[in-house]
Amino acid sequence: MVYYILRRLISAIVVMAMVGIFIFLLIRLTPGDPAAIIAGPTASEQMVASVREQLGLNEPLPVQFGQWAQNTLRGDFGTSVFAGRPVVQLMKQRMEPTLSVALLTLFVSVVGGVTFGILAAWRAGGFVDRALTVFSALGYSLPVFVVGYFLIYVFAIHTRLLPVQGYVPIGQGLGPWFAHLILPTVALSLPYIAFIARIARASMLEVLSEDYMRTAAAKGASPYSMLYRHALKNAGAPIVTVIGLSFAYLIGGVVLTETVFNIPGIGRLVVDAINNRDYPVIQSVLIVISGIYVLINLAVDLAYTLIDPRIRY
Amino acid sequence: MSFAISLPNPWQRGRFRVSYLARHARRHPLVLIGGGLLLILIALTLAAPLYAGDPLKMDPFVRLQPPSAEYWLGTDNLGRDVFARTVYGARVSLTVGLISALVAASAGLLIGVLAGYIRSFDNVIMRVMDALMSIPTFLLAIALISLTETGIGILIIAIAIPQIPSVTRMVRSVVISVRERAYVEAAVCGGARLPKILWRHILPSTLPPLMVQTAVVCADAIMTEAGLSFLGVGVPPEISSWGNMISSSRLYLSIAPLTIFAPGILLAITVLAVNLFGDGLRDLFDPRAKRRS
Amino acid sequence: MKISRRNVMKASMTIGAAASFPSLLRAQASTGGEPVKWSHGVPQAFDPYTTTDVDIGDYAFGVYDMLFGLDSKLVPQPQMIGDWSASADKRTYTFQLRDGLSWHDHTKVTAADCVASIRRWFQTPGGSLVQQRAQDVSMKDDKTFVITLKEPLGLLIDQLAQVSTYPLFIMREKDADRPPSEAVITHIGSGPFKFNEELFVPGANITFDKFEEYVPRSEAPDGLAGGKIARVSRVIWNDFPDQQTAVSALQAGEIDFLGAPPADLYPVIESDPSLVLEDLFKSGYNYFLRMNCLQKPFNNVKARQAMLHLINQEAFLRVINPSPQYSRPVKSLFGTGTAYTNDANTDWYKEGGDPEAAKQLLAEAGYAGEKVVILDPTDWGEAHNASLLLASEMRKIGINAELASTDWAGLVTRRAKKVSVDEGGWSIFISSATDFQFGDPTTAAWMAMNGEESWFGWPESAEYEALRAKWPDVETLEERQVLAREMQQVWWNYASLISLGQVVSPVAHRKDLTGLVGLKTGNVPMWNMQKG
Repeated sequence: MVYYILRRLISAIVVMAMVGIFIFLLIRLTPGDPAAIIAGPTASEQMVASVREQLGLNEPLPVQFGQWAQNTLRGDFGTSVFAGRPVVQLMKQRMEPTLSVALLTLFVSVVGGVTFGILAAWRAGGFVDRALTVFSALGYSLPVFVVGYFLIYVFAIHTRLLPVQGYVPIGQGLGPWFAHLILPTVALSLPYIAFIARIARASMLEVLSEDYMRTAAAKGASPYSMLYRHALKNAGAPIVTVIGLSFAYLIGGVVLTETVFNIPGIGRLVVDAINNRDYPVIQSVLIVISGIYVLINLAVDLAYTLIDPRIRY
Repeated sequence: MSFAISLPNPWQRGRFRVSYLARHARRHPLVLIGGGLLLILIALTLAAPLYAGDPLKMDPFVRLQPPSAEYWLGTDNLGRDVFARTVYGARVSLTVGLISALVAASAGLLIGVLAGYIRSFDNVIMRVMDALMSIPTFLLAIALISLTETGIGILIIAIAIPQIPSVTRMVRSVVISVRERAYVEAAVCGGARLPKILWRHILPSTLPPLMVQTAVVCADAIMTEAGLSFLGVGVPPEISSWGNMISSSRLYLSIAPLTIFAPGILLAITVLAVNLFGDGLRDLFDPRAKRRS
Repeated sequence: MKISRRNVMKASMTIGAAASFPSLLRAQASTGGEPVKWSHGVPQAFDPYTTTDVDIGDYAFGVYDMLFGLDSKLVPQPQMIGDWSASADKRTYTFQLRDGLSWHDHTKVTAADCVASIRRWFQTPGGSLVQQRAQDVSMKDDKTFVITLKEPLGLLIDQLAQVSTYPLFIMREKDADRPPSEAVITHIGSGPFKFNEELFVPGANITFDKFEEYVPRSEAPDGLAGGKIARVSRVIWNDFPDQQTAVSALQAGEIDFLGAPPADLYPVIESDPSLVLEDLFKSGYNYFLRMNCLQKPFNNVKARQAMLHLINQEAFLRVINPSPQYSRPVKSLFGTGTAYTNDANTDWYKEGGDPEAAKQLLAEAGYAGEKVVILDPTDWGEAHNASLLLASEMRKIGINAELASTDWAGLVTRRAKKVSVDEGGWSIFISSATDFQFGDPTTAAWMAMNGEESWFGWPESAEYEALRAKWPDVETLEERQVLAREMQQVWWNYASLISLGQVVSPVAHRKDLTGLVGLKTGNVPMWNMQKG
């Protein structure tokens, strides 16, 4: 068990290192002079030269990478070209809104998706099952920005039930915080509910048809007990994987959702940074998000072993 | 999701190949629905010049008009025909989506086969793929685009690259499960050389799951292109892409919602069609799929 | 539940995250009162000596103070200056600061700060006229400084007060003591509002607090003159990337002020009883296109005149601002509402444009299908739409027009290149300026025609420049108006800049927000406004 954890850990570290190399190379491999790009469109020749000096771009590549890696590991993500402030500060300010949306969406998707999927499998072929088929087809196909505008149109503009846009920090009241997050969460979670529900359903179906389920029923186990103790634990593994995978797709959706609903989160920070060619920000956000993704995958893999003791790699 | 050999080697079936597939297809309506819808969409977009009108013509004096006999879906904020723009937008989105998917599929196939068959290659490649997969696809696409000049070619590559790892993984797992099979061993013993083994014995088994994965990738590529254009980093603004149209019409949500929902709904229908087609293919090729799904 | 561990993890993360980050409005302003919220662009850089980004104006007027301020009749009045006098030969001007002026870091404003700021201002286009005529600027004591001129300059005080371009904002000596190319990154001024560093979220929102130690003048507020009294304790600017959501937020009371509501939504605002659509500025924005006079095809005057005839201002106004009561065509070089608006040489103007005449002139110019590149700023909606329309109109008469779409920053970089389009240059770009700015040909950079020294486009006309050089020295208004007619006569023959029309941009705000001040520059300073 410990050996397994260790191996996964090392694997994760190796992957992160490769991500780091890739992101580092991303800007240095592009056509054009990175110093000119970082210095910005209005910089003079000498400013570009000084930026080049400042960033150590005259050093050989491995030295540059070593320096950058060192800084990053220490938490020094550099300074934003356009805001003139440390990137870490910018990211900290924007973390709360993005985390709120992402986690709330994940929560809703998991609870909703798993429930939906289980019910569909339990009464396979029934109403819930067919509803799931339709829902999942739609959920995958409706782009989040279209759904977002539709929700705003119906719930905020025409009926004034919910706020149109923006984000209220949780410190200002749970009510307003939640009210502002309802529409973005609904818009964002549709594809994930669909995705998780389908996997949950498929997984449950497989398990439900196993012999040990019939045995349990024959022994007179209650539906709850059958569902939870016997079925769910066995079906759990694929569901947990899917939750981890969802996260990576969630980030892309968060970027679009923040733009539609005017939420000042990391997603918009990245989009603004890309429009401004603000590379320190782009690089740092990519590293952080990839890092979170790797960590989540690691957690998921380790959670596997808790759910299903049979799984060992 | 194991796609072990569910079809006998198509190379050997010769002219019976198509009819075999056709017989199976009839029992799986999803493929027909999805495929049919897709064909209709493609036909409509190809035939666009015949019926749609000019998407580029601007008439500022009829801006933001509701639907009328002349402008079936009304006009946008520059006086352009929304119907024409939506139909022509399909061309852009479908083209970019399909080509990106094909690029990703080809690259993934090549890398996956090599990784599956050649062990030394495998280790390095899979680490690289893991790393690539750790960066969210959308962000990676945006980052790739931001570093280069805009252009449709770059856009296609930027959309394709993040999709390669998933294709590679899938192909690789098929190759790994196939290479141990008896007939491959027999071929090797018989003195067949590597390229021939790959082509005749390994490759055919990868095709069915590859087709399914390509459909998935295609749907994702279309969505990604729309998202990128929506953010303003995709197709240049002069060309009408659905994402562009939605983005430039954001302002008019309350007064001319059709300018947003026409491209939006068509985008959803297209992605739905591709998804259904992919689902159908999956059902078609997987012998263990329950009839009820 | 199977996911209980996960739920607990997530819940604790959320609470932990919330608790550790400062909340914007949790710290209520000490003087009480509800903060006023604006939808306003959040600039990337803040130094008004480095850039003339329109979002910076409102910030600069609130945070910094000026020596003289133009009142609503555009007459300069002393603001930071208490007493001033000119020598008999009009070559030595002595200025004395009034009492009570202090910086946001609680130190006193001194003459040294003024001298340093003026010296820095000299290096910008805003101060270049005075700089050419000035001999020396020096400090006499802590509160007094002197400007000596090589020759008398009647407009000196007007120039010190001008706000058309690069106004003279007074900064601390240590901030001003650097060239304009090096941006000041602190926000310490002596104005009625203080920049709140702690609550600043770059790119998303800015918070301004009332500067309690500001001593306003005793006169009534009048434009930029008189007492600048801050009547609210806090103002917050929120950047809305989407104007639709900004208007909806305004309707819902989530914000109080929206500086530039989209014209298509005027009816929505006007029909809402809790909102007011107000024409604060009484002056409009004139949109124009600028051609590259150094390269083909617009190095030929006939090609430029062709464009003059081609442009259908009504069509362009429709895509920039479709509301007829807020838009009008512009025929004069000097705008529609300045003291020098006239109708010399305006026969080219025809409602609906004249594409036939344009085609004719194009043929006479010998246009052979050369590529014309229009720079298209995708992040500036009005100019973007206008650029698209321009390309379409040009193609209709057979011009090979192409759009180069970038963001504004990219456009600014590219328009500085004088080379041909094949080498990365440009042919046309669209911009705008306030009608007000067209009233002063000495400070409006685009109204100069001194070849490669002038603003992008680089038109050259010695005849025009000779006339323009006379401007600062002409004594009376009537004489200047005659001069204006002569200048316009030459101007439209040369046609380096073509008007696309003028739009008046009303602001939208909630009914309970009163006392808003509108400057002719299109800026809304934050003093004097009150909520409730």
